[in-house]
Parts: sequence; C-alpha cells; structure tokens
Amino acid sequence: MEMLFLIFLEVLLAAITLTQLGIKVSLVAFGAVLVLYAWASTYDIKGRYLPLQRVEIPWLYDGIAEMTRKANIPMPRIYLLDDYIPTAYSFKNAVVLSLGLFEVLDQEEILAVAAHEIGHIKNGDTRTFPLLAYGRYLMLVFTIVLMVLARNTTLSVSALALVGLYEIAWARFHKEREFLADEAALRLLKTPMSLKHALEELKYYEDLRTGMRSNAVPSIEPTIERRQKQRPLIIETHPSYDERVLRIIIEINGNRMIKNHIQ
Amino acid sequence: MKPQEFKLTEDGIKAVLPPLEAEIMEHMWKIKVATAGQVYEVMKGKHPDIRRSTISILMNRLCERGLLERSVETGRGGMRYVYSVTSTREEFEEKIVQSILDALMSNFRDATYAYLSKIKK
Repeated sequence: MEMLFLIFLEVLLAAITLTQLGIKVSLVAFGAVLVLYAWASTYDIKGRYLPLQRVEIPWLYDGIAEMTRKANIPMPRIYLLDDYIPTAYSFKNAVVLSLGLFEVLDQEEILAVAAHEIGHIKNGDTRTFPLLAYGRYLMLVFTIVLMVLARNTTLSVSALALVGLYEIAWARFHKEREFLADEAALRLLKTPMSLKHALEELKYYEDLRTGMRSNAVPSIEPTIERRQKQRPLIIETHPSYDERVLRIIIEINGNRMIKNHIQ
Repeated sequence: MKPQEFKLTEDGIKAVLPPLEAEIMEHMWKIKVATAGQVYEVMKGKHPDIRRSTISILMNRLCERGLLERSVETGRGGMRYVYSVTSTREEFEEKIVQSILDALMSNFRDATYAYLSKIKK
C-alpha cells in the first residue's frame, strides 16, 4: 500500500541519516502509535449516544440485521445520536445515526445511510481508518524529529515532501473508500435508488443550511452551527454528494445493463 | 427572544420573524407540541414544494431563537425529536412590544413619551 511505503521511506531516511538513533526513534514512534491504537480500541462512546434496542425502532433494527446478514458480518451495535443535524458514521462494529436523519429522510433512505456505514464495516474501514490517521501523526512527528536532529536542508525537504505525499495518498484512499462503501451499500439495499435519494436530500439540507447562514442578516443570524469536521485546507478527503450520486447512477445503470444483457 | 429588527411593511409576527418561521410559529402556538414531520405535513398543504429538510432547519432555528424547545421522546414510532413552544403567543407579543418600546425610550425618550401621551388622549 502506498501509505505504508511512504512510512517505510521516512524510516529509511531516518536510518540512513541518523543511523542507530534513527532506528531507535522509529521504534519509539511505532510503539507510541500502537499504544495509541490500543488505547483508542478500548475507548467507548458516552454522552449523547443512545443504544438502540429492537423494540424501539423495529424496522430500523430488522433492516440493519438483514443487511448485515447479506454482508456476512456480525450484527453491529446501533446508536442514536442526540444531534438534530443529519449525520451518520461507523466505528469498530457500530453504526451511529443522528436523530436529525429521522426528520429529513424516510425509512428507505435512513436504511440506505445505514447501508453505507455497514459498507464501511464490511470493507474493514473502521479498523484501517484510525490506523492510517495515526500514520499522519507519525509522519509529522518523525519529520519534526528528523529536522531537529539532522539539521540538513536536503533531508528536511525530503521528509516534508514525504509528509505531503502521505497526505495526498491518505485523502485519495479515504475518498475511494467512500465510493466503495456506497458500492457495498447498493448491493445490500432492496431499493438501491434510496441511497441516491438520501444523498440528494442531505445535499439539499447542507446547501439550505449554508445558504441560510450566508444570507442571514448578521444581527439575526442563528447559531445553528455544525461542529465542523477537521478538514485539511487543500486536500479534500470526502467526495462531494454530486460525485457520489453520479457514481451511484453509473453503478445502478451498469448493473441493469448487465442484467438485461444476460436475459 | 429579543427582536433584532422590525419590518414595518410586514403584518403580525412576520414583522419580527421570517415568513416561513412565522407560519410555523402560528401553527405551533395552536398545537403547542409537534414533531417536525407533523409540521411538515401541515405546511405541505400550503406550500406543496416544501421539503422535510426546510422544516427541520427552520424549527431548529426557532429553537435557537428560544421560541421552541426540542426534546427526545421515545414513543410508538421510536425515538424522535419533539418540539414544544416556550411561551404563549401573548407572552411573545408582550416581549416584542417591551423590547421595541425599551429601544425607543432609550433612543428617543421625549418623542416616545410625547407620542404615547398623545395616543392616551
């Protein structure tokens, strides 16, 4: 994998320039990442998350259960998040859906959003994403250590270039996994088009909310502010709703064409 | 809620609230408690093109303004947000009048006194 190769190059750079010290620094850094990953694995969510029991929303629980059977993965834990902004995400073997989703989407569309998250779990993203995110910190800390200890311009530039390349590779990987989660969701859903409809409605919500904020008279502007995800300034890690909708249309039409051809 | 602006050309609470938010509040004062979905069904009758997202965003704006409050309810339809009014329409109107008069008194004290005494007569 591209990112592992870049980390390897960074370690190589450290080993060549700092010899034994470089190897020691690498080992300490890797150890720190593993400890961080192990600590994060034991951490469980608290606060505004409400674990969902089947009796509370049977159609949602049963829908997710059916999709996980199809995906051949264990039944995930389902949490409802007390947040009026429609959002969903997954971690480990858990799916989180905000209560805001239930205000703007219908049942099929909510299941489509859940299917996307199941797609992430099925594709192993909930395990790899945190590791690769720690990889970013690893690269950054490594580069700073190298720059301080080696005091060599060529080495510093090379290390910085590797950090930049890692960021690009990470963003590209992240984006591709989003598309793959959508593809997995399309295979799990009874009505694949519901994913397209859900994304269109979520895009409409985002646009409307952003539009309202920018059009509002400053003095009466409401403070309905979404907690912004930390995003890099230049590199976008998530595909846009339009890109995803386009891929979904292509995927659905492609599948239809294949089916028609077989018949 | 303290109004930040007063539109002289608008009628009723539309003078201090955007039109759709004013319509939602008119409805909410009648029924007191509702989900965004229930308000959507009513608003759809008047505005056929309106979407669930619009109602959800506006109702949450009204929460931010302090006119509605949101709570999680676990019922037959599962968990959901329920919105309820924080004051009666009369209390709201009283607050509006108070804040406008306070602003007039602090900016144009004599003229406001003079005009109010003229109205009394």
